[in-house]
Amino acid sequence: MTETVAAPPVGAVEPDGSSSTGLRVVRGLGWTLIWLGVLTLGFVVHQLWITTWLSQLNQAELDSAREEHFETAVITEVEYTPIVIAGGGPGQGSPDGTGPVVPGGAIGNTPDELPGPRFLQVESAPPEHEAFALIRIPSIERLQEGWNVVEGVRRSDLKTGAGHMPWTPLPGQPGNSVISGHRTTYGAPFHELDLLVPGDRIEVDTALGTHVYQVRESKVVRPTDVWVTEPREGAWLTLTTCNPKFSARQRLVVFAELVEGPNAAVIVGST
Amino acid sequence: MYRRLPGPAALRVAISLVVLAIFLVSLHFFYEWVGNTFLDTGGTVG
Repeated sequence: MTETVAAPPVGAVEPDGSSSTGLRVVRGLGWTLIWLGVLTLGFVVHQLWITTWLSQLNQAELDSAREEHFETAVITEVEYTPIVIAGGGPGQGSPDGTGPVVPGGAIGNTPDELPGPRFLQVESAPPEHEAFALIRIPSIERLQEGWNVVEGVRRSDLKTGAGHMPWTPLPGQPGNSVISGHRTTYGAPFHELDLLVPGDRIEVDTALGTHVYQVRESKVVRPTDVWVTEPREGAWLTLTTCNPKFSARQRLVVFAELVEGPNAAVIVGST
Repeated sequence: MYRRLPGPAALRVAISLVVLAIFLVSLHFFYEWVGNTFLDTGGTVG
C-alpha cells in the first residue's frame, strides 16, 4: 500500500519556517516596488534640490570667469545705426502683432532722423558657454544678488547659469537681447519671474557697465512662438522661462526696455 | 554588507564611505541620464 502526500499549497510556510516560492515572489515584488519608489523620490529630490545646489556651487566658478571677461573684453565705439522694423512697434512680428519682421531684422539707416553721428559702446563677443554678464532683479529675492549669464542656451549652458541666445544682441545693445533660464531646476534663476510687473527694474552688468531695463509686459506663449526672440526697435531685454512651474508646456516671457546705462542715451535718448 | 567587510572597524567605515560616495555619484549620473532621456523638457522639469 502506498501513501500519497499532498503538495503544500502555494504560499504556504514550510515546516522549517522558510517561505514557499509564491511568497518569495510576492516579497521580491514588494521590495522591487519599494526601491522603485525610493529611486523615483530620489529623482525628484535630485531635480529640485541637488541640481540647484550644484548650480549654486557653479556660480562661484562663473563669478571668476565673468570677472576675467570684464577685464579682458575689448570695448570699442561704433556709429549707431538704429534698427527699423517694418510694421514696427512693440509686438512686431508676432502672430498677434502688427506685422511681420523683415528677414534679417530689417535693419535700416535713418540718418536723416539723427541730429548727428552717435556712437555706441560695444564689447567684444564673449566666448561661447562662458559667463559674461550678471543679471539682477531687485524685486525678486533670489536675484537680488545676481545670477551669472553664460553665452549660449544649450542644455549644458542652462545647467550652470542663465543663458544668452548668441544670435541676439548682447545686453545693452540695440535690438532684442534674449536671456533664458530654468524655472524650477538647476538653480531656478527665473523661478519667480511671474511676479514681475510693468515698471520693475532689471539690471544687467556687462563689461560695459550696468544696463537698467524696465519691465513693460509679460506674456505666456507656446514653446513654438519664437517670434519673441526676433529683433525689435530700440533696446530690449527679453527673459524666457518654462511655464507653469514644474512643466515646460508653455513659456513665460518678460519684455523689458532699456532705460539707463552706457548706451541708453544713444539708443533711447535717456540717461 | 558592513558586517562582511574585512579589517578593523575604522577600515570598514572608510570602505563603506567610499562605496556610498561611488553609489551617490553613480546615482547622480543615472538621474542626469534619466532626465535627458525621458523628460520632454530638455532634461529638466522646467
